[in-house]
Amino acid sequence: MPITKIASADNWELTVPGRIDGAVANQLEIEILGAMRAGAKEIFINLSQADFICSAGIRVLLQYYRQMKNNQKVLLVTRPSPNITSILDMTGFIDLIVEGNRPTT
Amino acid sequence: MNISLRNDPVELSRLAEILEEFGRQHGLTQRDLLALDLSLHEHLTNIINYGYDNTKPREIQIRLRLGDRLLHLEVEDDARPFNPLERPPIDTTVPLDQKPLGGLGIHIIRRSMDQLEYRRDGGRNILTMRKRIA
Repeated sequence: MPITKIASADNWELTVPGRIDGAVANQLEIEILGAMRAGAKEIFINLSQADFICSAGIRVLLQYYRQMKNNQKVLLVTRPSPNITSILDMTGFIDLIVEGNRPTT
Repeated sequence: MNISLRNDPVELSRLAEILEEFGRQHGLTQRDLLALDLSLHEHLTNIINYGYDNTKPREIQIRLRLGDRLLHLEVEDDARPFNPLERPPIDTTVPLDQKPLGGLGIHIIRRSMDQLEYRRDGGRNILTMRKRIA
């Protein structure tokens, strides 16, 4: 399943469905770089339809979270599915999720 | 169940499908299936991406057993010696700005499984993983 993107002004949403393995992590990196080149100030990675993310996918999120933050911009995960929340939680990456979408426990 | 994989990343998608079917047949919870899927994915990714000096086709053997609510996994490969248990644990409380980019895969395996054992035997790496399931 392809990554879908919605861009409005400086705000981009990339929706990544299914299984985020190494190959999909590479595709996601290409899409993020494209959004950055287009001047995105906020990039939201919608993971509501993703059910798996491996360490390579988390590394891409972390790397571009930092690059964006260093330029006073934002990259965060929105609407993570239960599996994604569980993986980000066990790896200590819950802060990558936009504040209102984090688990309450 | 015995599964034989080639040292090619495309094999990981096939493995995921096999595991999903295994989970369905044995009534694994989504959480237990995710732990199994993640652990094998991370370990095999390390073997395939970093274990070999050349791109010659190799076989990796996976043995998967389920009995008495205990999942027993064994992965055997002829890649260069690599004991993942020697990697130091990572501190998950470090803030995002200071987190290291490496070591995550092994952390995921440690957190997903209850018991891990490594041995090098006859030029082969054998990682045994056990997990109590719901």
